[in-house]
Amino acid sequence: MPALYLTFVLYQSGNALVALLVLLGTCLGLFIYLSPTALTYRYLFPGFVGFGLFVIFPILYTVYISFTKYSSENLLSFDRAAAIFRNETFVSANAASYKYRLYVQDDGTYVLYLEDQKDPTKRFASEPFELSVGAKSKGPTEPVKLGALPGGEEVKGKPLETPQIVRAKLLGPLRERQFVLPDETILGLADLLSFKSRERLWTQNPDGTLKNKKDGTVIRPDLKQGFFVNDKGERVGVGFRTFSAFENYARILTDPRIQGPFIRIFLWTVAFSALSVLLTFSVGMLLAVILEQKDLRFRATYRTLFILPYAVPGILSILILKGLFNQEFGAVNALLKGIFGFAPEWETNPWGARAMILLVNLWLGYPYMMLICTGMLQSIPGAIYEASAIDGSNIVVDFSELTLPLVLPPMIPVLISAFAFNFNNFNLIFLLTGGGPQMVGGNGGETDLLVTYTFNIAFRDSGTNYGLASAIATLLFILVGFLAWVNLRFTARKAKI
Amino acid sequence: MKMAAPPIEPVTSGTKVKSRMLNPEQKAIARQLISHVILISLLALVLVPYVMVISASLRKGNFAPNGLLPDKVSLEHWKFVLGIPYQEIANVATGETREVKAETPPLLWFLNSIKISAIASVGIILLSGTAAYAFARLQFKFKSGVLGGLLILQMFPMVLALVAIYAFLDFAGQYVRWLGLNTQSALIVVYLGGISGYIWMIKGYFDTIPASMEESARIDGASQFQTFIRILLPMSLPIFAVVFILSFISHMSEYPVASIVLQTRTNWTLAVGANSFLAEHEKLWGRFAALAVLSGVPITAMFLLCQRFIVGGLTSGGVKE
Repeated sequence: MPALYLTFVLYQSGNALVALLVLLGTCLGLFIYLSPTALTYRYLFPGFVGFGLFVIFPILYTVYISFTKYSSENLLSFDRAAAIFRNETFVSANAASYKYRLYVQDDGTYVLYLEDQKDPTKRFASEPFELSVGAKSKGPTEPVKLGALPGGEEVKGKPLETPQIVRAKLLGPLRERQFVLPDETILGLADLLSFKSRERLWTQNPDGTLKNKKDGTVIRPDLKQGFFVNDKGERVGVGFRTFSAFENYARILTDPRIQGPFIRIFLWTVAFSALSVLLTFSVGMLLAVILEQKDLRFRATYRTLFILPYAVPGILSILILKGLFNQEFGAVNALLKGIFGFAPEWETNPWGARAMILLVNLWLGYPYMMLICTGMLQSIPGAIYEASAIDGSNIVVDFSELTLPLVLPPMIPVLISAFAFNFNNFNLIFLLTGGGPQMVGGNGGETDLLVTYTFNIAFRDSGTNYGLASAIATLLFILVGFLAWVNLRFTARKAKI
Repeated sequence: MKMAAPPIEPVTSGTKVKSRMLNPEQKAIARQLISHVILISLLALVLVPYVMVISASLRKGNFAPNGLLPDKVSLEHWKFVLGIPYQEIANVATGETREVKAETPPLLWFLNSIKISAIASVGIILLSGTAAYAFARLQFKFKSGVLGGLLILQMFPMVLALVAIYAFLDFAGQYVRWLGLNTQSALIVVYLGGISGYIWMIKGYFDTIPASMEESARIDGASQFQTFIRILLPMSLPIFAVVFILSFISHMSEYPVASIVLQTRTNWTLAVGANSFLAEHEKLWGRFAALAVLSGVPITAMFLLCQRFIVGGLTSGGVKE
């Protein structure tokens, strides 16, 4: 059973909790498919595993992160941060010095060769290890083991001397590596030409504090700040993740640098969603009504062509329109300049950018509304129009007094879900404007929706802050979830009638 | 429905009356004329961008699309996208040329996308179809609560769960290779989570099929699973077609998750690759346009061919519930 093997491997690597969950999941699966009493769940189990892993788990994890301090400053787990201190070394006073050479192996790994500068018979070769050019190390790596090399034996592979190593940009990555001799002495690159033996810088005291062997300072972990601090309270070294309760939520409400943009972005998000729904519904409805005239020629052709923006993959359409609205070279401004002699600033002016977003979203979104409205119109019995015709009405009266009142109530759930969809319309904003132009004196963009603003806090800006982003995400979820719940209530009530 | 406008005499008086004294046929013609004018002008707004992209894909140089016809026709962007080498002038003064060939042909991104979207869509049909069956035909505790919960939980913007998804794949990849970051299989597995909307849609369809046939099959000795496979499924093929197409198209356009999970160029999907042409400082509009036409045309054609199905599915799934 691969599942049992996986459980074993997970348990061995110290993830007992995850191992237990995998085991429980497997047992549950076995029970469901073998026991005759669990028939119903056989149909539900596969779907729920996927749903649980990639919808429910991410939500729970996000909510959990929102209560922690987790950002580019406080990135590592406490254990990893402490391990960095434990692995820090310094050149000992009476250090032995070694000449070195690096051998490239056929499979792209490297072997380090060392030779004691005082005693050339003391020679060592490392096990093969990987060095990636330019890649930043992700924290402490295990020291590479060195073994004694008997006299007369040579290391296989292509040798690299110092100049070649420098040219191949391998010196930096090599400096970050540590090597251990068979007698547990740690070695590290000391200067361009030599390796020297090193000693660990910090010793751990029983109370969890660390003592510096060189200058005797003592540091202790400060769980509130997520940093190690010395006696004076100054931060030392890298930060770590720590529990922060409601700090992130409090920041949204009180920190003026967050609160200011947050409120503006929230208002724009609401306005954008509402206007998008209104515009797409109006145009979609107009087209549906026009195309519903039985005697109109080329109806089918028109319909097909008007669906195009819905049929073309959205991401392509968004990028195409981004090109057309290009402020300097785009077709839209070339046309407007030619006819009206003015070129709106679609990219640099906040209102121009907002107008562009609404136009693009109208262009992308009306076909869906048109399709739905067409369906609704076709379910209205034609007889009522004939009746109103006898009463002497016209197109406008027919529409405002018959069609709209009949179509609007069943459309409300569609409109609400369209609102919720636009509320989180990440692709549109992210690809079209990236949230720009930048807000003056804030960390958000003028056209950012809450979802892109949060994404930028989490992934893009220099100070990535997962904790804060997760807190905003949680608030967003509550908001949109509430909308969905209202919508559900609404449809459920309608179904009962 | 909307029949010809009413043939009644206008009650207004004076000169106006004369101009409005049209007989019903003339009125119908006028109405049609106005309709055509509105439709054609709107249609122009819809179609012009597509025409411009086609022309941009055929034009020399990488300019933002801004004309209906390319001024200097060249197939260089198409060759680049398809991975065919072509000559480009490297030095204007000497007229020296150099060969240009895409290291990773963008065509590959399109094929990756098709593969990922198709497999994910089949998986989604399997998962949501069986779950929908349970919701439609079987009785279990908290059924309506779970059904509502599914819909509400799916409202959580997936973009914001990326930290969690990233952490999960990073962890899982250490033990199960194909669940790791930068694998297409992991991306497919992540997509399989988004089934709740489809469960609702398929359940709505199952609800419209009377259970009496399955019941009589049960009496004849068929097992529950047999009635599901042999009776309900064959009758539900249309809704599965709809779910497949909708899921396929939405995953072809999915950007954020793919951009985080897939890191090397050879693994990229269409969405990630297409945006990469425009994300840098130097915007490669020509190449983007060629890729957009190449990949947009087949998908659009597929959508239009299945239009009838999709519209039916949308209106029943979105409205009737």
